[in-house]
Amino acid sequence: MPSSLELARLYDDHAQALFGFLLNLTRNEADTRDVLQEVFLKLARQPERLNGVRDERAFLLRLAHNAAIDRLRRAVTREKNYEELAAESASAFARAHDPDEQGFRLALAAALGELPADQRAVVHLKLWEGLTFEGIAETLGLSPNTAASRYRYGLDKLRARLRPLYDEIK
Amino acid sequence: MKPDEFEQQLQRQPLRSPPEEWRREILEAANAAARAQTPAFNPPCEPWWREWLWPSPRAWAGLAAAWVILLALNTARLATPPGVASVSPPPSREMIMALSEQRRELAELLGDAQERSPAAKPAPPRPRSERQSQKTSV
Repeated sequence: MPSSLELARLYDDHAQALFGFLLNLTRNEADTRDVLQEVFLKLARQPERLNGVRDERAFLLRLAHNAAIDRLRRAVTREKNYEELAAESASAFARAHDPDEQGFRLALAAALGELPADQRAVVHLKLWEGLTFEGIAETLGLSPNTAASRYRYGLDKLRARLRPLYDEIK
Repeated sequence: MKPDEFEQQLQRQPLRSPPEEWRREILEAANAAARAQTPAFNPPCEPWWREWLWPSPRAWAGLAAAWVILLALNTARLATPPGVASVSPPPSREMIMALSEQRRELAELLGDAQERSPAAKPAPPRPRSERQSQKTSV
């Protein structure tokens, strides 16, 4: 059984990263909370999962990604379609005091929501977790080439969507 | 590969933190799950005989019952007084006469044999060669 201190340490070290990643994936705060809790319940029930793990963050991101994808699939088959899910607009970004910055963040969140979930996951891990394509490939169970191409496609879409705003605030 | 300006602009956007109350709620749930994983008590060790009997306790019980019944029957038979078993109807007159006739014949036979060989002592066996010479002489 992992000690409560160990669970607390894992939460403090990684919850913010997992929260951002999950919120970008699910676009829904309630789902994000459920998946985050699911990840910690798994760790509490099967602490041996962490044995021999070199990179805790990458391991937890993989766990979270798998749980989120399962949840998205269940949600799609149960009640929603992908368009409805993508339209959910919980933003993963902090509020900005500057209205232009805030406008850009809202537009970025909306543009991310328009990406397919697999591109969104890669873009998030590359931009906000700073993972290499090899790291992303390992985390998401892809080949590095697939990770790179998904990133390129996703980034091109974001660029096209956000260019006017970006030129304004630049 | 260096990120271009646009990528750098995206990277600069700070991510939100999870709501404060989630920490307590999630860690409470996780700790409860961890506690539920460990058994509340260790069951006492099974006695050796229960382990031994475990695969088919009914069959063993049936066998034991059969043995108890056999033992009981055996004990009951031994407990009956010997006189009861040996009581038999008195012999008939014919039987008594037949028995006395048999005794008489036996006595005659024995008496006859004693007359023919008064030295009842059995002779020690002789060597085979001697017996052969005895036969030829007869």
